[in-house]
Amino acid sequence: MIRAHGLTKHYGGRTAKIAVDGLDFEVRPGTVTGFLGPNGAGKSTTMRMLLGLDAPTSGRATVGGRSYATHRAPLHEVGALLEARSVHPGRSAFHHLMGLAHTHGIPRSRVEQVLGLAGIREVAARRVKGFSLGMGQRLGIAAALLGDPATVILDEPVNGLDPEGVLWIRNLLKSLAAEGRTVLVSSHLMSEMALTAEHLVIIGRGRLLADTTVEEFVRSSGAAAVKVVTPDAAALAERLAAPGVRVTSETPGTLDVHGTDAEHIGRTAAAHGIPLFELTPHTGSLEQAFMDLTRDTVEYQATTLTGAAA
Amino acid sequence: MTTTYATGVTPRRVLRSEWHKLWTLRSTWIILATAAVSTLAVGLVMGGTYDGDDSEIDTVTFVLLGTQISQICVAVLAILVSAGEYSTGLIRATLTAVPRRTPVLWAKAAVFTTVALTVTAATNVLTFLAAQLLLADTDKALSLGDPGVLRAVLGNAAGITLLALIALGLGALVRSIPGGIGAFVALVLILPELLSAIPYDGLRDALDHFPAQAAGALGSATPLPDAVSPGPALLALVLWALAVLWPSAALLRRRDV
Repeated sequence: MIRAHGLTKHYGGRTAKIAVDGLDFEVRPGTVTGFLGPNGAGKSTTMRMLLGLDAPTSGRATVGGRSYATHRAPLHEVGALLEARSVHPGRSAFHHLMGLAHTHGIPRSRVEQVLGLAGIREVAARRVKGFSLGMGQRLGIAAALLGDPATVILDEPVNGLDPEGVLWIRNLLKSLAAEGRTVLVSSHLMSEMALTAEHLVIIGRGRLLADTTVEEFVRSSGAAAVKVVTPDAAALAERLAAPGVRVTSETPGTLDVHGTDAEHIGRTAAAHGIPLFELTPHTGSLEQAFMDLTRDTVEYQATTLTGAAA
Repeated sequence: MTTTYATGVTPRRVLRSEWHKLWTLRSTWIILATAAVSTLAVGLVMGGTYDGDDSEIDTVTFVLLGTQISQICVAVLAILVSAGEYSTGLIRATLTAVPRRTPVLWAKAAVFTTVALTVTAATNVLTFLAAQLLLADTDKALSLGDPGVLRAVLGNAAGITLLALIALGLGALVRSIPGGIGAFVALVLILPELLSAIPYDGLRDALDHFPAQAAGALGSATPLPDAVSPGPALLALVLWALAVLWPSAALLRRRDV
Protein backbone atom coordinates (compact mmCIF):
# COMPACT_ATOMS: atom_id res chain seq x y z
CA MET A 1 0.00 0.00 0.00
CA ILE A 2 1.32 3.40 -1.01
CA ARG A 3 -0.16 6.64 0.30
CA ALA A 4 0.56 10.25 -0.59
CA HIS A 5 -0.89 12.96 1.63
CA GLY A 6 -0.63 16.51 0.29
CA LEU A 7 2.68 15.56 -1.25
CA THR A 8 4.41 18.71 -2.52
CA LYS A 9 7.85 19.40 -3.96
CA HIS A 10 9.30 22.77 -4.93
CA TYR A 11 12.71 23.11 -6.48
CA GLY A 12 15.02 26.06 -6.20
CA GLY A 13 14.11 28.38 -3.37
CA ARG A 14 11.73 31.28 -3.56
CA THR A 15 11.13 31.56 -7.29
CA ALA A 16 10.51 27.87 -7.12
CA LYS A 17 9.44 25.52 -9.83
CA ILE A 18 6.61 23.47 -8.41
CA ALA A 19 7.27 19.88 -9.45
CA VAL A 20 4.58 18.23 -7.36
CA ASP A 21 1.66 20.15 -5.93
CA GLY A 22 -0.46 18.70 -3.13
CA LEU A 23 -0.83 15.14 -4.39
CA ASP A 24 -3.23 12.84 -2.56
CA PHE A 25 -3.60 9.27 -3.74
CA GLU A 26 -3.54 5.66 -2.64
CA VAL A 27 -2.14 2.66 -4.44
CA ARG A 28 -3.69 -0.60 -3.24
CA PRO A 29 -2.21 -4.07 -3.26
CA GLY A 30 -3.36 -6.75 -5.65
CA THR A 31 -3.70 -4.65 -8.79
CA VAL A 32 -1.34 -2.97 -11.22
CA THR A 33 -1.68 0.79 -10.91
CA GLY A 34 -0.54 2.89 -13.83
CA PHE A 35 1.04 6.24 -13.02
CA LEU A 36 0.51 8.52 -16.00
CA GLY A 37 1.28 12.07 -16.92
CA PRO A 38 2.94 14.07 -19.67
CA ASN A 39 6.69 14.69 -19.53
CA GLY A 40 7.50 16.98 -16.64
CA ALA A 41 4.26 16.21 -14.82
CA GLY A 42 6.14 15.15 -11.69
CA LYS A 43 5.98 11.34 -11.96
CA SER A 44 9.65 10.69 -11.34
CA THR A 45 9.82 13.29 -8.56
CA THR A 46 6.84 11.66 -6.86
CA MET A 47 8.49 8.25 -7.11
CA ARG A 48 11.73 9.61 -5.67
CA MET A 49 9.78 11.07 -2.74
CA LEU A 50 8.09 7.69 -2.15
CA LEU A 51 11.59 6.20 -1.85
CA GLY A 52 12.94 8.92 0.41
CA LEU A 53 15.48 10.05 -2.19
CA ASP A 54 13.88 13.50 -2.40
CA ALA A 55 12.43 15.12 0.69
CA PRO A 56 8.93 16.59 0.18
CA THR A 57 8.64 20.35 0.66
CA SER A 58 5.43 19.53 2.49
CA GLY A 59 3.11 16.58 2.83
CA ARG A 60 3.98 12.98 3.41
CA ALA A 61 4.43 9.72 1.55
CA THR A 62 4.15 6.31 3.17
CA VAL A 63 4.82 2.84 1.87
CA GLY A 64 3.51 -0.11 3.85
CA GLY A 65 2.19 2.28 6.49
CA ARG A 66 5.36 4.21 7.26
CA SER A 67 7.77 6.52 5.55
CA TYR A 68 10.27 4.58 3.47
CA ALA A 69 13.39 5.56 5.43
CA THR A 70 12.03 4.16 8.68
CA HIS A 71 11.76 0.58 7.42
CA ARG A 72 14.32 -1.78 8.92
CA ALA A 73 14.58 -3.85 5.76
CA PRO A 74 13.56 -1.41 3.00
CA LEU A 75 14.48 -3.71 0.09
CA HIS A 76 12.09 -6.28 1.51
CA GLU A 77 9.38 -3.64 1.68
CA VAL A 78 9.82 -1.83 -1.64
CA GLY A 79 11.65 -2.71 -4.84
CA ALA A 80 12.20 0.16 -7.22
CA LEU A 81 13.37 0.80 -10.74
CA LEU A 82 14.15 4.46 -11.28
CA GLU A 83 14.11 6.19 -14.62
CA ALA A 84 17.75 7.22 -14.50
CA ARG A 85 20.30 4.45 -14.43
CA SER A 86 21.58 3.73 -10.96
CA VAL A 87 24.42 1.33 -11.71
CA HIS A 88 28.19 1.71 -11.84
CA PRO A 89 29.11 0.83 -15.45
CA GLY A 90 32.42 -0.71 -14.40
CA ARG A 91 30.85 -3.37 -12.18
CA SER A 92 29.34 -6.62 -13.44
CA ALA A 93 25.61 -7.21 -13.14
CA PHE A 94 26.19 -9.95 -10.58
CA HIS A 95 28.44 -7.83 -8.38
CA HIS A 96 26.09 -4.85 -8.64
CA LEU A 97 23.27 -6.97 -7.24
CA MET A 98 25.52 -8.66 -4.70
CA GLY A 99 26.65 -5.27 -3.38
CA LEU A 100 23.01 -4.31 -2.79
CA ALA A 101 22.18 -7.77 -1.41
CA HIS A 102 24.88 -7.54 1.28
CA THR A 103 23.15 -4.55 2.89
CA HIS A 104 20.24 -6.82 3.80
CA GLY A 105 22.05 -10.12 4.21
CA ILE A 106 20.31 -11.41 1.10
CA PRO A 107 22.04 -14.64 0.02
CA ARG A 108 23.86 -15.24 -3.25
CA SER A 109 21.20 -17.78 -4.25
CA ARG A 110 18.58 -15.01 -4.36
CA VAL A 111 20.86 -12.86 -6.53
CA GLU A 112 21.18 -15.75 -8.98
CA GLN A 113 17.43 -16.27 -8.84
CA VAL A 114 16.59 -12.68 -9.83
CA LEU A 115 19.24 -12.74 -12.55
CA GLY A 116 17.41 -15.75 -13.98
CA LEU A 117 14.02 -14.13 -13.47
CA ALA A 118 15.15 -11.06 -15.42
CA GLY A 119 16.69 -13.22 -18.14
CA ILE A 120 20.21 -11.85 -17.77
CA ARG A 121 21.97 -14.83 -16.16
CA GLU A 122 24.17 -15.31 -19.25
CA VAL A 123 25.53 -11.76 -19.10
CA ALA A 124 25.75 -11.55 -15.30
CA ALA A 125 29.54 -11.66 -15.29
CA ARG A 126 29.85 -8.89 -17.87
CA ARG A 127 30.42 -5.29 -16.94
CA VAL A 128 27.30 -3.16 -17.20
CA LYS A 129 29.20 -0.74 -19.47
CA GLY A 130 28.49 -3.03 -22.46
CA PHE A 131 24.79 -3.50 -21.74
CA SER A 132 22.10 -2.42 -24.18
CA LEU A 133 19.29 -0.22 -22.91
CA GLY A 134 17.06 -3.29 -22.63
CA MET A 135 19.62 -5.31 -20.69
CA GLY A 136 20.11 -2.33 -18.37
CA GLN A 137 16.34 -2.24 -17.76
CA ARG A 138 16.33 -5.95 -16.99
CA LEU A 139 19.16 -5.46 -14.50
CA GLY A 140 17.19 -2.63 -12.88
CA ILE A 141 14.17 -4.90 -12.59
CA ALA A 142 16.32 -7.68 -11.13
CA ALA A 143 17.51 -5.18 -8.51
CA ALA A 144 13.91 -4.15 -7.79
CA LEU A 145 12.90 -7.77 -7.15
CA LEU A 146 16.02 -8.59 -5.11
CA GLY A 147 14.42 -8.27 -1.67
CA ASP A 148 11.18 -10.03 -2.68
CA PRO A 149 9.36 -6.77 -1.90
CA ALA A 150 5.73 -6.29 -0.93
CA THR A 151 5.58 -3.14 -3.07
CA VAL A 152 7.11 -2.65 -6.51
CA ILE A 153 7.65 0.83 -7.98
CA LEU A 154 8.81 0.93 -11.59
CA ASP A 155 9.50 4.12 -13.54
CA GLU A 156 9.13 3.53 -17.28
CA PRO A 157 10.06 -0.18 -17.12
CA VAL A 158 9.44 -0.93 -20.80
CA ASN A 159 11.86 1.76 -21.98
CA GLY A 160 14.26 0.19 -24.45
CA LEU A 161 12.78 -3.29 -24.25
CA ASP A 162 12.08 -5.33 -27.36
CA PRO A 163 8.55 -6.72 -27.97
CA GLU A 164 9.44 -9.91 -26.14
CA GLY A 165 10.69 -7.85 -23.21
CA VAL A 166 7.54 -5.72 -23.20
CA LEU A 167 5.41 -8.87 -23.03
CA TRP A 168 7.61 -10.20 -20.23
CA ILE A 169 7.14 -7.00 -18.18
CA ARG A 170 3.39 -7.09 -18.77
CA ASN A 171 3.12 -10.65 -17.46
CA LEU A 172 5.56 -10.01 -14.65
CA LEU A 173 3.59 -7.01 -13.37
CA LYS A 174 0.32 -8.91 -13.52
CA SER A 175 1.77 -11.88 -11.67
CA LEU A 176 3.32 -9.62 -9.01
CA ALA A 177 -0.08 -8.02 -8.46
CA ALA A 178 -1.80 -11.42 -8.44
CA GLU A 179 0.53 -12.46 -5.61
CA GLY A 180 -0.98 -9.63 -3.58
CA ARG A 181 1.78 -7.07 -4.03
CA THR A 182 1.30 -3.36 -4.59
CA VAL A 183 2.49 -2.44 -8.07
CA LEU A 184 2.93 1.16 -9.26
CA VAL A 185 4.18 1.60 -12.82
CA SER A 186 4.76 4.80 -14.69
CA SER A 187 4.73 4.88 -18.44
CA HIS A 188 4.08 7.21 -21.29
CA LEU A 189 3.03 4.32 -23.53
CA MET A 190 -0.74 4.47 -23.17
CA SER A 191 -1.40 1.40 -25.27
CA GLU A 192 0.89 -0.55 -22.96
CA MET A 193 -0.83 0.78 -19.86
CA ALA A 194 -4.21 -0.15 -21.28
CA LEU A 195 -3.03 -3.76 -21.48
CA THR A 196 -1.31 -3.89 -18.10
CA ALA A 197 -2.93 -1.59 -15.58
CA GLU A 198 -6.34 -1.88 -13.95
CA HIS A 199 -6.13 1.29 -11.94
CA LEU A 200 -4.81 4.71 -12.94
CA VAL A 201 -3.32 7.66 -11.15
CA ILE A 202 -2.94 10.52 -13.63
CA ILE A 203 -1.11 13.74 -12.88
CA GLY A 204 -0.37 16.89 -14.85
CA ARG A 205 1.81 19.80 -13.77
CA GLY A 206 2.24 18.10 -10.42
CA ARG A 207 -1.49 17.91 -9.64
CA LEU A 208 -3.77 14.92 -9.48
CA LEU A 209 -6.02 14.80 -12.58
CA ALA A 210 -7.62 11.41 -12.09
CA ASP A 211 -7.56 8.47 -9.72
CA THR A 212 -9.80 5.84 -11.26
CA THR A 213 -9.97 2.50 -13.05
CA VAL A 214 -8.86 2.21 -16.67
CA GLU A 215 -12.34 1.15 -17.75
CA GLU A 216 -14.10 4.01 -16.00
CA PHE A 217 -11.56 6.52 -17.22
CA VAL A 218 -11.94 5.62 -20.88
CA ARG A 219 -15.73 5.45 -20.62
CA SER A 220 -16.13 8.80 -18.91
CA SER A 221 -13.62 10.64 -21.01
CA GLY A 222 -15.90 11.02 -24.02
CA ALA A 223 -13.18 9.84 -26.32
CA ALA A 224 -15.64 7.58 -28.14
CA ALA A 225 -16.32 8.75 -31.70
CA VAL A 226 -17.97 7.65 -34.90
CA LYS A 227 -16.01 7.75 -38.12
CA VAL A 228 -18.10 8.81 -41.12
CA VAL A 229 -16.98 8.78 -44.75
CA THR A 230 -19.21 10.81 -47.05
CA PRO A 231 -18.80 12.84 -50.26
CA ASP A 232 -20.90 15.59 -48.65
CA ALA A 233 -19.02 16.05 -45.40
CA ALA A 234 -19.69 19.75 -44.97
CA ALA A 235 -23.46 19.33 -45.31
CA LEU A 236 -23.57 16.41 -42.89
CA ALA A 237 -21.47 18.26 -40.33
CA GLU A 238 -23.91 21.14 -40.52
CA ARG A 239 -26.94 18.88 -40.03
CA LEU A 240 -25.34 17.11 -37.06
CA ALA A 241 -24.49 20.32 -35.25
CA ALA A 242 -26.11 20.29 -31.82
CA PRO A 243 -25.11 21.05 -28.23
CA GLY A 244 -22.65 18.37 -27.01
CA VAL A 245 -21.83 17.17 -30.48
CA ARG A 246 -18.36 17.82 -31.81
CA VAL A 247 -17.39 17.14 -35.41
CA THR A 248 -13.79 17.10 -36.53
CA SER A 249 -12.21 16.26 -39.83
CA GLU A 250 -8.65 15.28 -40.51
CA THR A 251 -8.96 14.25 -44.14
CA PRO A 252 -11.47 15.61 -46.65
CA GLY A 253 -14.57 13.49 -46.86
CA THR A 254 -14.01 11.92 -43.45
CA LEU A 255 -15.61 13.10 -40.22
CA ASP A 256 -15.04 12.09 -36.63
CA VAL A 257 -18.21 12.72 -34.70
CA HIS A 258 -18.15 12.88 -30.91
CA GLY A 259 -21.14 13.08 -28.65
CA THR A 260 -23.70 11.14 -30.63
CA ASP A 261 -24.11 7.60 -31.91
CA ALA A 262 -24.02 5.86 -35.29
CA GLU A 263 -27.79 5.40 -35.41
CA HIS A 264 -28.46 9.11 -35.07
CA ILE A 265 -25.85 9.93 -37.70
CA GLY A 266 -27.25 7.34 -40.12
CA ARG A 267 -30.81 8.59 -39.70
CA THR A 268 -29.77 12.23 -40.07
CA ALA A 269 -27.89 11.43 -43.27
CA ALA A 270 -30.83 9.46 -44.68
CA ALA A 271 -33.28 12.23 -43.80
CA HIS A 272 -31.23 14.72 -45.79
CA GLY A 273 -30.32 12.40 -48.62
CA ILE A 274 -26.60 12.45 -47.85
CA PRO A 275 -24.88 9.25 -49.02
CA LEU A 276 -22.61 7.46 -46.52
CA PHE A 277 -19.71 5.24 -47.62
CA GLU A 278 -18.66 4.29 -44.11
CA LEU A 279 -20.10 4.58 -40.63
CA THR A 280 -17.86 3.11 -37.93
CA PRO A 281 -18.24 3.55 -34.16
CA HIS A 282 -14.94 3.62 -32.23
CA THR A 283 -14.77 3.08 -28.53
CA GLY A 284 -12.33 5.50 -27.00
CA SER A 285 -8.72 4.55 -26.50
CA LEU A 286 -6.84 5.21 -23.31
CA GLU A 287 -4.42 7.21 -25.39
CA GLN A 288 -7.12 9.55 -26.64
CA ALA A 289 -8.68 9.87 -23.21
CA PHE A 290 -5.29 10.71 -21.76
CA MET A 291 -4.57 13.30 -24.43
CA ASP A 292 -7.93 14.95 -23.84
CA LEU A 293 -7.40 15.05 -20.09
CA THR A 294 -3.86 16.36 -20.15
CA ARG A 295 -4.08 18.68 -23.15
CA ASP A 296 -3.94 21.79 -20.98
CA THR A 297 -1.21 20.54 -18.70
CA VAL A 298 1.37 19.46 -21.23
CA GLU A 299 4.59 21.23 -20.41
CA TYR A 300 6.57 20.61 -23.54
CA GLN A 301 4.35 20.88 -26.58
CA ALA A 302 5.51 20.71 -30.16
CA THR A 303 4.20 23.49 -32.35
CA THR A 304 3.03 22.62 -35.81
CA LEU A 305 5.10 24.05 -38.63
CA THR A 306 2.75 26.15 -40.70
CA GLY A 307 3.35 27.59 -44.12
CA ALA A 308 6.12 25.13 -44.84
CA ALA A 309 4.44 23.94 -48.01
CA ALA A 310 3.44 27.38 -49.19
CA MET B 1 6.84 -13.21 -0.67
CA THR B 2 8.28 -16.64 -0.21
CA THR B 3 11.51 -15.59 1.46
CA THR B 4 12.13 -13.11 4.22
CA TYR B 5 15.24 -11.24 5.26
CA ALA B 6 13.66 -9.99 8.40
CA THR B 7 16.59 -8.56 10.28
CA GLY B 8 17.28 -5.92 7.67
CA VAL B 9 20.09 -3.40 7.41
CA THR B 10 22.83 -3.49 10.05
CA PRO B 11 26.10 -1.52 10.20
CA ARG B 12 27.99 -4.76 9.67
CA ARG B 13 26.05 -5.50 6.50
CA VAL B 14 26.61 -1.99 5.15
CA LEU B 15 30.35 -2.49 5.75
CA ARG B 16 30.22 -5.79 3.92
CA SER B 17 28.39 -4.14 1.00
CA GLU B 18 30.94 -1.32 0.75
CA TRP B 19 33.81 -3.82 0.97
CA HIS B 20 32.25 -5.81 -1.87
CA LYS B 21 31.67 -2.69 -3.97
CA LEU B 22 35.26 -1.50 -3.51
CA TRP B 23 36.85 -4.73 -4.69
CA THR B 24 34.53 -5.39 -7.63
CA LEU B 25 35.76 -2.41 -9.63
CA ARG B 26 38.85 -2.69 -11.77
CA SER B 27 39.81 0.89 -11.00
CA THR B 28 40.44 -0.03 -7.34
CA TRP B 29 43.00 -2.68 -8.26
CA ILE B 30 44.65 -0.53 -10.91
CA ILE B 31 44.98 2.51 -8.62
CA LEU B 32 46.29 0.55 -5.64
CA ALA B 33 48.77 -1.31 -7.84
CA THR B 34 49.94 1.96 -9.40
CA ALA B 35 50.38 3.49 -5.95
CA ALA B 36 52.39 0.51 -4.67
CA VAL B 37 54.52 0.15 -7.78
CA SER B 38 55.37 3.85 -7.99
CA THR B 39 56.47 3.98 -4.35
CA LEU B 40 58.59 0.85 -4.74
CA ALA B 41 60.10 1.87 -8.08
CA VAL B 42 61.04 5.38 -6.94
CA GLY B 43 62.45 3.92 -3.71
CA LEU B 44 64.66 1.51 -5.66
CA VAL B 45 65.86 4.27 -7.98
CA MET B 46 66.65 6.54 -5.02
CA GLY B 47 68.50 3.72 -3.27
CA GLY B 48 70.37 2.60 -6.37
CA THR B 49 71.48 6.06 -7.50
CA TYR B 50 72.41 7.59 -4.13
CA ASP B 51 75.83 9.25 -4.30
CA GLY B 52 75.91 11.24 -1.08
CA ASP B 53 74.46 14.45 -2.57
CA ASP B 54 71.22 14.42 -0.59
CA SER B 55 72.70 13.40 2.74
CA GLU B 56 70.86 16.16 4.58
CA ILE B 57 67.41 14.78 3.64
CA ASP B 58 65.74 12.50 6.18
CA THR B 59 66.39 8.92 5.09
CA VAL B 60 62.81 7.67 5.42
CA THR B 61 61.51 10.69 3.50
CA PHE B 62 64.24 10.04 0.91
CA VAL B 63 63.45 6.36 0.20
CA LEU B 64 59.68 6.99 0.31
CA LEU B 65 59.83 9.91 -2.16
CA GLY B 66 57.57 7.89 -4.50
CA THR B 67 54.73 8.32 -2.05
CA GLN B 68 54.30 11.80 -3.55
CA ILE B 69 52.85 9.94 -6.55
CA SER B 70 50.99 7.29 -4.59
CA GLN B 71 49.45 10.04 -2.43
CA ILE B 72 47.64 11.37 -5.49
CA CYS B 73 46.59 7.83 -6.55
CA VAL B 74 45.13 7.02 -3.14
CA ALA B 75 43.34 10.38 -2.91
CA VAL B 76 41.80 9.81 -6.36
CA LEU B 77 40.63 6.37 -5.25
CA ALA B 78 39.02 7.99 -2.20
CA ILE B 79 37.17 10.46 -4.41
CA LEU B 80 36.01 7.64 -6.71
CA VAL B 81 34.65 5.80 -3.66
CA SER B 82 32.48 8.73 -2.57
CA ALA B 83 31.84 10.99 -5.57
CA GLY B 84 31.93 8.08 -8.05
CA GLU B 85 28.52 6.93 -6.87
CA TYR B 86 27.03 10.28 -7.82
CA SER B 87 28.55 10.46 -11.28
CA THR B 88 27.23 6.98 -12.13
CA GLY B 89 23.87 7.36 -10.37
CA LEU B 90 24.62 4.31 -8.22
CA ILE B 91 24.02 6.46 -5.15
CA ARG B 92 20.26 6.23 -5.78
CA ALA B 93 20.39 2.44 -5.56
CA THR B 94 22.69 2.59 -2.54
CA LEU B 95 20.48 5.01 -0.62
CA THR B 96 17.36 3.08 -1.54
CA ALA B 97 18.95 0.06 0.14
CA VAL B 98 20.21 2.10 3.11
CA PRO B 99 17.74 4.99 3.43
CA ARG B 100 19.23 6.12 6.75
CA ARG B 101 22.12 7.23 4.56
CA THR B 102 24.88 8.13 7.03
CA PRO B 103 25.89 4.48 7.65
CA VAL B 104 26.91 4.42 3.97
CA LEU B 105 29.40 7.26 4.40
CA TRP B 106 30.85 5.86 7.62
CA ALA B 107 31.15 2.39 6.06
CA LYS B 108 32.88 3.84 3.01
CA ALA B 109 35.31 5.75 5.24
CA ALA B 110 36.01 2.68 7.39
CA VAL B 111 36.52 0.30 4.47
CA PHE B 112 38.65 2.79 2.60
CA THR B 113 40.80 3.59 5.64
CA THR B 114 41.43 -0.10 6.33
CA VAL B 115 42.38 -0.87 2.75
CA ALA B 116 44.45 2.26 2.11
CA LEU B 117 46.34 2.00 5.40
CA THR B 118 47.11 -1.69 4.89
CA VAL B 119 48.30 -1.26 1.32
CA THR B 120 50.38 1.87 1.95
CA ALA B 121 51.92 0.52 5.17
CA ALA B 122 52.91 -2.77 3.52
CA THR B 123 54.27 -0.93 0.48
CA ASN B 124 56.27 1.47 2.63
CA VAL B 125 57.85 -1.28 4.74
CA LEU B 126 58.72 -3.27 1.61
CA THR B 127 60.10 -0.20 -0.16
CA PHE B 128 62.18 0.80 2.86
CA LEU B 129 63.69 -2.69 3.19
CA ALA B 130 64.37 -2.98 -0.55
CA ALA B 131 65.99 0.47 -0.73
CA GLN B 132 68.09 -0.29 2.32
CA LEU B 133 69.58 -3.31 0.54
CA LEU B 134 71.00 -0.78 -1.94
CA LEU B 135 72.02 1.77 0.70
CA ALA B 136 73.84 -0.70 2.97
CA ASP B 137 77.29 0.91 2.72
CA THR B 138 76.22 4.56 2.69
CA ASP B 139 75.47 7.16 5.37
CA LYS B 140 71.78 6.41 4.72
CA ALA B 141 72.01 2.85 6.04
CA LEU B 142 69.21 2.44 8.60
CA SER B 143 67.13 -0.41 9.96
CA LEU B 144 63.46 -0.44 10.92
CA GLY B 145 64.59 -0.82 14.52
CA ASP B 146 66.49 2.50 14.58
CA PRO B 147 64.87 5.35 16.53
CA GLY B 148 61.88 6.85 14.78
CA VAL B 149 62.28 4.80 11.61
CA LEU B 150 59.34 2.40 11.87
CA ARG B 151 57.20 5.25 13.22
CA ALA B 152 58.06 7.39 10.17
CA VAL B 153 57.54 4.53 7.67
CA LEU B 154 54.08 3.81 9.11
CA GLY B 155 53.45 7.50 9.80
CA ASN B 156 53.90 8.22 6.11
CA ALA B 157 51.24 5.57 5.36
CA ALA B 158 48.91 7.07 7.96
CA GLY B 159 49.49 10.52 6.46
CA ILE B 160 48.60 9.31 2.96
CA THR B 161 45.51 7.55 4.24
CA LEU B 162 44.23 10.45 6.31
CA LEU B 163 44.84 12.97 3.53
CA ALA B 164 42.89 10.66 1.22
CA LEU B 165 40.13 10.40 3.82
CA ILE B 166 39.83 14.20 3.60
CA ALA B 167 39.53 13.71 -0.17
CA LEU B 168 36.77 11.12 0.39
CA GLY B 169 34.86 13.62 2.51
CA LEU B 170 35.33 16.37 -0.08
CA GLY B 171 34.10 13.99 -2.80
CA ALA B 172 30.96 13.29 -0.76
CA LEU B 173 30.51 17.02 -0.20
CA VAL B 174 30.79 18.18 -3.82
CA ARG B 175 29.33 14.96 -5.33
CA SER B 176 31.43 15.14 -8.48
CA ILE B 177 34.73 13.42 -9.35
CA PRO B 178 36.41 16.42 -11.04
CA GLY B 179 34.95 18.70 -8.37
CA GLY B 180 36.33 16.49 -5.63
CA ILE B 181 39.78 16.35 -7.17
CA GLY B 182 39.73 20.11 -7.70
CA ALA B 183 38.66 20.78 -4.12
CA PHE B 184 41.35 18.45 -2.79
CA VAL B 185 44.13 20.03 -4.84
CA ALA B 186 42.96 23.56 -4.08
CA LEU B 187 42.32 23.21 -0.35
CA VAL B 188 44.94 20.67 0.67
CA LEU B 189 47.83 21.31 -1.72
CA ILE B 190 47.56 24.91 -2.98
CA LEU B 191 45.84 26.90 -0.20
CA PRO B 192 48.68 26.37 2.36
CA GLU B 193 51.23 27.60 -0.21
CA LEU B 194 49.22 30.77 -0.75
CA LEU B 195 48.73 31.34 2.97
CA SER B 196 52.44 30.84 3.65
CA ALA B 197 53.11 33.97 1.60
CA ILE B 198 51.37 36.05 4.27
CA PRO B 199 54.03 37.26 6.75
CA TYR B 200 52.25 36.62 10.03
CA ASP B 201 53.74 34.34 12.69
CA GLY B 202 50.48 33.05 14.14
CA LEU B 203 49.50 31.92 10.66
CA ARG B 204 52.82 30.08 10.28
CA ASP B 205 52.08 27.99 13.36
CA ALA B 206 48.62 27.21 12.11
CA LEU B 207 49.99 26.25 8.70
CA ASP B 208 52.23 23.62 10.29
CA HIS B 209 49.04 21.89 11.37
CA PHE B 210 47.50 21.92 7.88
CA PRO B 211 46.86 18.46 6.40
CA ALA B 212 49.70 18.18 3.89
CA GLN B 213 52.22 19.75 6.29
CA ALA B 214 51.15 17.47 9.16
CA ALA B 215 51.42 14.44 6.86
CA GLY B 216 54.95 15.52 5.94
CA ALA B 217 55.92 15.74 9.61
CA LEU B 218 54.51 12.25 10.21
CA GLY B 219 56.72 10.70 7.54
CA SER B 220 60.08 11.95 8.79
CA ALA B 221 62.27 9.90 11.14
CA THR B 222 64.23 12.98 12.20
CA PRO B 223 62.36 16.11 13.36
CA LEU B 224 61.88 18.55 10.49
CA PRO B 225 62.59 22.25 10.98
CA ASP B 226 59.37 24.25 11.43
CA ALA B 227 57.25 21.12 11.72
CA VAL B 228 55.06 19.80 14.49
CA SER B 229 56.01 16.60 16.24
CA PRO B 230 54.40 13.33 15.11
CA GLY B 231 51.80 13.06 17.87
CA PRO B 232 50.15 16.45 17.31
CA ALA B 233 50.56 15.97 13.55
CA LEU B 234 48.53 12.74 13.67
CA LEU B 235 45.92 14.35 15.88
CA ALA B 236 45.67 17.35 13.55
CA LEU B 237 45.13 15.07 10.54
CA VAL B 238 42.44 13.05 12.30
CA LEU B 239 40.66 16.26 13.23
CA TRP B 240 40.91 17.57 9.66
CA ALA B 241 39.39 14.35 8.34
CA LEU B 242 36.54 14.52 10.85
CA ALA B 243 36.04 18.21 10.10
CA VAL B 244 35.32 17.30 6.47
CA LEU B 245 33.47 14.00 6.99
CA TRP B 246 31.11 15.26 9.65
CA PRO B 247 29.49 18.03 7.56
CA SER B 248 29.47 15.60 4.61
CA ALA B 249 27.39 13.21 6.71
CA ALA B 250 25.09 16.00 7.87
CA LEU B 251 24.50 17.13 4.29
CA LEU B 252 24.09 13.56 3.03
CA ARG B 253 21.20 13.16 5.42
CA ARG B 254 19.46 16.30 4.15
CA ARG B 255 20.10 16.61 0.44
CA ASP B 256 18.00 15.19 -2.38
CA VAL B 257 19.78 12.71 -4.63
